[in-house]
Amino acid sequence: MSRAEKTPTLIDFSLTPHDIRRRRVNQIMLGVIQTMAILAVVPLVAIFIVILSKGLPSLSVSYLLNAPLAEPRGIINAIQGSLVMTGIAIVASAPIGIAGGIYLNEYASERVSRLGELFIDIMLGIPSILAGLFVYFAIVPLLGHSGWAGSVALTVLMIPVVMRTTQEVIRLVPAGLREASLALGVPQWKTTVFVTCRTALSGIMTGIVLAISRGLGETAPLLLTSQSSNDTAINLGQPMSAMTVVIYQNATSSDPQIVASAWTTALVLFVLAFLLNVLVRFRTVNNRVV
Amino acid sequence: MTGNVRFNRSTLSGELPFRLITIAGVCIAVGLVAALVGVIFERSLILWPAEDLWTFITSSGWFGKVDESGAVTAAFGAWPMIWGTIVTSIIGIVVAAPVGIFAAIYLVELAPRRLAAPLTFLVEVVAAIPSVVVGLWALGELSPRLRDSVEWWVASSIGHLIPWLSEDPTQPSDTSVFRAGIVLAIMITPMVAAVSREVIRSVPQSLREGLVGMGATKWETIRLVILPTARVGLFGAALLAFGRAVGETIAVRLVIGMNITQVPPTLFQPGASIAAQIAGAYGEASTIEKGALAGLGLSLFLITLCISLLVRTLMWRSADKMRAKA
Repeated sequence: MSRAEKTPTLIDFSLTPHDIRRRRVNQIMLGVIQTMAILAVVPLVAIFIVILSKGLPSLSVSYLLNAPLAEPRGIINAIQGSLVMTGIAIVASAPIGIAGGIYLNEYASERVSRLGELFIDIMLGIPSILAGLFVYFAIVPLLGHSGWAGSVALTVLMIPVVMRTTQEVIRLVPAGLREASLALGVPQWKTTVFVTCRTALSGIMTGIVLAISRGLGETAPLLLTSQSSNDTAINLGQPMSAMTVVIYQNATSSDPQIVASAWTTALVLFVLAFLLNVLVRFRTVNNRVV
Repeated sequence: MTGNVRFNRSTLSGELPFRLITIAGVCIAVGLVAALVGVIFERSLILWPAEDLWTFITSSGWFGKVDESGAVTAAFGAWPMIWGTIVTSIIGIVVAAPVGIFAAIYLVELAPRRLAAPLTFLVEVVAAIPSVVVGLWALGELSPRLRDSVEWWVASSIGHLIPWLSEDPTQPSDTSVFRAGIVLAIMITPMVAAVSREVIRSVPQSLREGLVGMGATKWETIRLVILPTARVGLFGAALLAFGRAVGETIAVRLVIGMNITQVPPTLFQPGASIAAQIAGAYGEASTIEKGALAGLGLSLFLITLCISLLVRTLMWRSADKMRAKA
C-alpha cells in the first residue's frame, strides 16, 4: 500500500465535543491559576509603590543621621536601637542555634532528632508578642524597659530560625565527606566542625541573615520590652527605640508630617529587609550546599 | 566508634566538651520556651481566684476591681478577643489559601523557567516585609479603599439578607474585622505559596509523566495527580499560615479597631484580637489585668501549640506519602 493512497484511518483524530470541553476547561483553569499568581504579587508592587512615593520625599542624609528632636527631624536613635538590639540578639542566638542544630543532626538519636524537629516547629510558631510578654513579666521588673530586655525578646525569636536552618543544611552534607574524615582518624568533633560545618557554612550564614532579618522586622515584642526613647546615646540599660516601634507609634499620629516620617522610616526598613533578602538569595544560589 | 578500634586520650580530648556545648544549645532553647510558658502561666494564676477559666473564655467585658473588703472581683472576658482572632485568621486563610496554592502551582508547573525564579524571589520578598510596614500601608491605603469598595458593595447588595455582612451605609466604620482579615491574607499568602511550592515540587515526576502520557491536559494533570498527592502537605501549608495569622499583632492592631468589650454584630465593624489586646493594654494594666493578659497569652500559646503539632504530623504524613508513591 503506497503512502499517497488515501486510506481511512483506524483512529479518528478529530476532536469530539468531549475533547473540546476538556480543552476549554484546561484553558480556563490555567487562566485562573495565572490570575492567582498575579494576585499574590500585586500587594508587593502596591506596597512598594506607596512606600516609595510617600517615603522618598522626606528621605535625606539628615533624616538618617539626626536626632528625633533635632531640626530637621531624624531617626538615628531608632536606627541605632534596631541595629544594637538585633546585633546583641544575633550574638546570643547564633551560637545557641548552631550548637543545637548540630546536636540534633549529628549526635541525637533518630527519636530525639524527630522530637527536636517538633520542638523547633513549636518555638518557631510562638507568636512574637508572647516573647515580648514573657520578657515583660520576667525581665522588665528587674531591668526596667531597656535595650537589654528588647535584646532578650529578640533572642528568643531568633534562636529557632538559626537552629532550623543549621539543622537543615547540615543534613544535606553527604555522609561520604564525614566518613572520609573519620576514616583518616579525625575525631568526630573535629570532623563536625572542620568538615561538616565548613561544608554547610554558607547555609548556616543564610540562617543567621534570616534571623537578623526577623529581628529587624519585629515590632510587638520590642513595644513591650524596650519601648522607645528620644535619647541618641546608646545605653542598653535605658529604653531604646527601634525603627519598627517608631513606625508603629508615628503611624497613628494626627500630624500628617509625623505620618510622612513613618513612611520614610518604613522605606529605610523595607530597603534593609530587601537587601538582606537579596543577600540570602545571592548566597544560596551561588554557594548551593554541596 | 565501636568494635576493636582503640582511641587514645589525645584523639578523644575535645569530644566530650564539644558534645556538652551542643547539648547546652538545645537545653538553653528548651529552657527558654519552658520559662516562657512557665512565667506566663504563673502570672495568670492571680486571675483564677477571682474568675474561673470557663467564664474567662466565654464571657465578654474587660474590667477588674478591688472591692472594700479587699477581695478582687474581675470581669475579664476573653471571648471578643478569641472570636476576633479566630474570625480574622479564618478570613485570612480562606483568601490566602487558594491564591497561595495556585500561585505555587503556577511557579512549579506552568511558569516559563525564565519567569519562575524572579517570581519566586518576589513572593519571598513579600514574606520578608516587616509586619508594621504592611500595617502602615493597610492603615493609610488599603483600609479606606476596602471600606469604599468591597465592604460597601457587599453590605449594600447582600447585607440585608445576611445580618453579619451588613453595615450602616451612612456611617461606615474606620476599622473592621473584615479588613483585618484581608490584611492577614496579604501577609500569609507568601507563606502559603512558599510552603506549597516545596510540597508540589516533591510530587514525584513519574506521576506527572504518567498522566501526560495518557493525553491528559495540564489542568487534568494538576487536578487528578498533583492536588490529590500533595493534598495533605498543602493542608499543612495552609494550617501553618493560619498559625502565623493567629499570632500577628501589629498590623491587626492598626486596622481592627480594638473593640474589646463585645463581639461585633457584623464583620464590617471594629473587633479585637488576642495579640493586639496584649500589645495595647499592657501599659496601664493593673496587677489583676496583667493576670488577664497572661491568661490571653496562654490561650494564644495553646492555640499555636496545637497548630504546630498538627502541622508537623501532617508534614510527616505528606513526606511518607510522597515516598510511597515515588
